[in-house]
Amino acid sequence: MSNKPSRQSSHSAKVRAASGSGRSNTLWIWIGLGVLVVAIALVAGFVGRSSDSGSNSGGSASASGGTVVPNGSLEYGSLDVTGTKLPDSPDPGATDTAIGQAIPTIAGQTFDESKITISPEGGKPQVILVVAHWCPHCQAEVPRIQDWLDTNGMPDDVKLTAIATANTDQRTNFPAGPWLRKEKWTVPTLLDDKNSDAGAALGVTGFPGFIVVGADGKVVYRTSGEITMAQWEQLLQAARTGTAPTGS
Amino acid sequence: MRDLLPLKTMSVFFAVLALLCWAIAISLVVGALVRRARHGRPGRLEPLRDDIGRMALPLAWAIALVTTLGSLYYSKVWSFVPCELCWYQRIAIYPFAVILGIAAWRRDAGIRVYAIPVFAIGMVIAVYHTWIQAYPPSSGTSFCTVEAPCTTRYVWEFGFVSLPFMALSAMVAMTVLLLVARPAPRRSAIEE
Repeated sequence: MSNKPSRQSSHSAKVRAASGSGRSNTLWIWIGLGVLVVAIALVAGFVGRSSDSGSNSGGSASASGGTVVPNGSLEYGSLDVTGTKLPDSPDPGATDTAIGQAIPTIAGQTFDESKITISPEGGKPQVILVVAHWCPHCQAEVPRIQDWLDTNGMPDDVKLTAIATANTDQRTNFPAGPWLRKEKWTVPTLLDDKNSDAGAALGVTGFPGFIVVGADGKVVYRTSGEITMAQWEQLLQAARTGTAPTGS
Repeated sequence: MRDLLPLKTMSVFFAVLALLCWAIAISLVVGALVRRARHGRPGRLEPLRDDIGRMALPLAWAIALVTTLGSLYYSKVWSFVPCELCWYQRIAIYPFAVILGIAAWRRDAGIRVYAIPVFAIGMVIAVYHTWIQAYPPSSGTSFCTVEAPCTTRYVWEFGFVSLPFMALSAMVAMTVLLLVARPAPRRSAIEE
């Protein structure tokens, strides 16, 4: 840092010439390092490819008895909402006016563009989970619920559906599909559109959001934020009985 | 771009490079300790030490450059939002993608006087960030926000390699390389 700029070019050349002895050795070390980096790149490519075709693949069976969300490059879904939109979830402690209201029908797509529908019909209790790819609470909740499903199996008497909403390439962990496949997520998942119309139709204002729907297709209970697995079991029970969890 | 440079492949690549940084740093430190134990008497590896001394500046520059490009890869290609701690580490590394290049061209080992204090600050932050990613505090940290959480493991390879661990590895390797970099020959040697 002591050389004057005006003398730099000739000085640098002289410095290189003066310290040029042993150049052949350093050349071999450089070649060795280059070969090592190329070898690391090849191994990484192999590991990455086998990971993509293995644990990260969609559509395979899982311990939960469900099927991992399918592969597909869809980043935003396309959907059709019919019926009355639920009002926005109220602040904690306030009365939820959506309770007793039938959920709208949302006909949309999953990650491989196959059709999936959320509807008040079917005569089966439901729990709808609404997650956002960038939301750290969702990133924490999804593996917890998946662990529960892997341990306890997919419930027979409660239909589980998820909505991947608030999708945007301006935020982390986009798109949602690879993230959910990485978590081996087996809950059938509807991919929301660019306007998050599916999330809005269910009045979701916080993530992760949970909508408990009775066998009659009407809202029993809504909540948002991370929950424990004891609370998760209470949500399933609320769907079965049509009664909101006690203490809610 | 995402198809061309898949996340898993690139993360494994950068994770192994981070481990290579540790291998280089540890080897050089052990070599220096052995030399000290021999009271500076030249050993059989002395020519190798000279070679590495000559290569240290360009190698440190290459590490700064790859670290900078890797950081930009995660934020620009995969839209990972850098948290506050990430930004401090970026500040400690990004400028050296240029500065160490100039120093390597000039063979100016004196750059260590300016660079190592910056890396030292960056390493302290990286150690803390690595720690809270490995063991997230239940109460969170004041650096975390919902938009850019500092405890979310966007990368987690081999059960311990996270993004701040990669930054730490790069800064450790660059620091050690700068310490062993051979200064430019004296002007008298050049004039001869």
